[in-house]
Amino acid sequence: MVTREDVENIALLSKLFVPEEELDELTKSMQDIVDFADAINNAPASDEGFDNINNLSNVFREDEVVESFPSTEILKNAPEQAEDHFLVRNRE
Amino acid sequence: MVSGFETHIELSTKTKIFCGCTTQFGGEPNTHCCPVCIGLPGTLPVLNREVVRFAIKAGLAVHGEIARVAKMDRKNYCYPDLSKAYQISQLYAPLIIGGYVELSNGRKIRLHHIHIEEDAGKLIHQHGDTYVDYNRGGVPLIEIVSEPDIRSIDEAKEYVERLQQVMRAIGVSDCKMQEGSMRCDVNISVRPEGSDKFGTRTEIKNMNSINNIAKAMEYEYDRQVDLIESGGKVVQETLRYDDATGTTSSMRSKEDAHDYRYFRDPDLVTINISREEVEELRAELPELPADRYKRYTAELGLPEKDAALLTKYRRISDYFDEACEGVKSPKTVSNFIIGQIFRRTETEADKEIFDVAVSPAALNELVKLLDSGKIRNNLAKSTLEKMLDTGKGALEFISESDMGGLDENALLELCRNAVEGNPKAVDDYKNGKEKAIKALVGNVMKNSRGKADAVAAEAKIKELIG
Repeated sequence: MVTREDVENIALLSKLFVPEEELDELTKSMQDIVDFADAINNAPASDEGFDNINNLSNVFREDEVVESFPSTEILKNAPEQAEDHFLVRNRE
Repeated sequence: MVSGFETHIELSTKTKIFCGCTTQFGGEPNTHCCPVCIGLPGTLPVLNREVVRFAIKAGLAVHGEIARVAKMDRKNYCYPDLSKAYQISQLYAPLIIGGYVELSNGRKIRLHHIHIEEDAGKLIHQHGDTYVDYNRGGVPLIEIVSEPDIRSIDEAKEYVERLQQVMRAIGVSDCKMQEGSMRCDVNISVRPEGSDKFGTRTEIKNMNSINNIAKAMEYEYDRQVDLIESGGKVVQETLRYDDATGTTSSMRSKEDAHDYRYFRDPDLVTINISREEVEELRAELPELPADRYKRYTAELGLPEKDAALLTKYRRISDYFDEACEGVKSPKTVSNFIIGQIFRRTETEADKEIFDVAVSPAALNELVKLLDSGKIRNNLAKSTLEKMLDTGKGALEFISESDMGGLDENALLELCRNAVEGNPKAVDDYKNGKEKAIKALVGNVMKNSRGKADAVAAEAKIKELIG
């Protein structure tokens, strides 16, 4: 059972602000998601282990250096930046 | 005291764990980054094969069991050092299970497991704001999680030193604590002597020197004991150690509640490890420091102190082994290294690099001259100093006439000269001053240019004086 407290806690951990009036609705939608996952879990399946849809394993790359991006590119999506760093402002 | 360690070690692969960016330390901020390691949407991480190989080697070196199946998980938390808001790590199926680190007192510190994960970015806090550099983000780490088997600060220090020694020896990490390539989280609790129950533990995060580990543990031990003895209770919490004040303080606020909501990372597929690959990697391992230590003490007959010094850094043991090739007395080689060469490599950093002007082959040649009786110890010692100064071989400083012992007659002749030339010393000796004989022996040694055998000379002089 998903409770209002669960939703509040998940919002807190995800650093999301959820207005009081949306909590009931969100609780219900999250319960729907969990029910959906449960339905899949309860579907009949063969005993064989299932790992991923393409049945892949051991996908590796070799230890070879590839050129990195210039910091100007890396910082392009930064909400704020200073001196080639991502800047996180203290909002307290 | 009961303590367990979580030790993070950066692997010295060329590239990051999930992308081809370099792992080089430092660099201009945010220049060792790409869309994968800063976690932009739509990118796919691909595991670096070498990370798996290095981690398996590390596991083998500490007697761990290598899993047949390993998987990657996401550890979710919101903090600016992670751009994705999760760290790719392992929880449910780590690469290595169990293992141990043996201490010099014979105790084995058991390991719970070792897993691979990505390092986080570097945060610089300034004027209340945070500057983020993701160059370190995505650098491969192994985390070695011990059981709570450590019982004293000395054991803790040795545990860290042993890990450092073995990881350096097998070449998977440089374990530089000052550069952050090795960091420890220290869990510590106290209990009454004789009790077998664990007390409530606290965790001191991110310790970056062995000295600070010792100081922080001492402070935290005293704090917990005082707290309990005055009727209080230890609260389970995460602490930070302040080097300047030598105290620990609480680190987490309540919004950082431990809830990482781990789940399997859907971007990364299962790792299957064949037994053949494990055996291949095992065969690549050099002789481990602990095995070398045993060989030096048991087979070569070195004192424990010598063996410990010679096995601390791999370059020193390699040097010693090479210099020992075919010599009669490994202890002589050890004496030269510890007594004379170490004076030229004073700092720990120098010892680790062990860049010495005299090659192991040159030392080997010198020791063989000594072994065969061609030169005496004093001459060998002074020759080694000259070799260290100049980088030249022993034979540059030892002439033919220095070599070969003295025959009986030559020794007798020198002794006779010593006795006749020093009547005062002879009288002193006759009057009971035992030490006076040393002056006579010294005279023989000097005139033989170090070739005479001091013991034989002393016997001969006593004979002459009668």
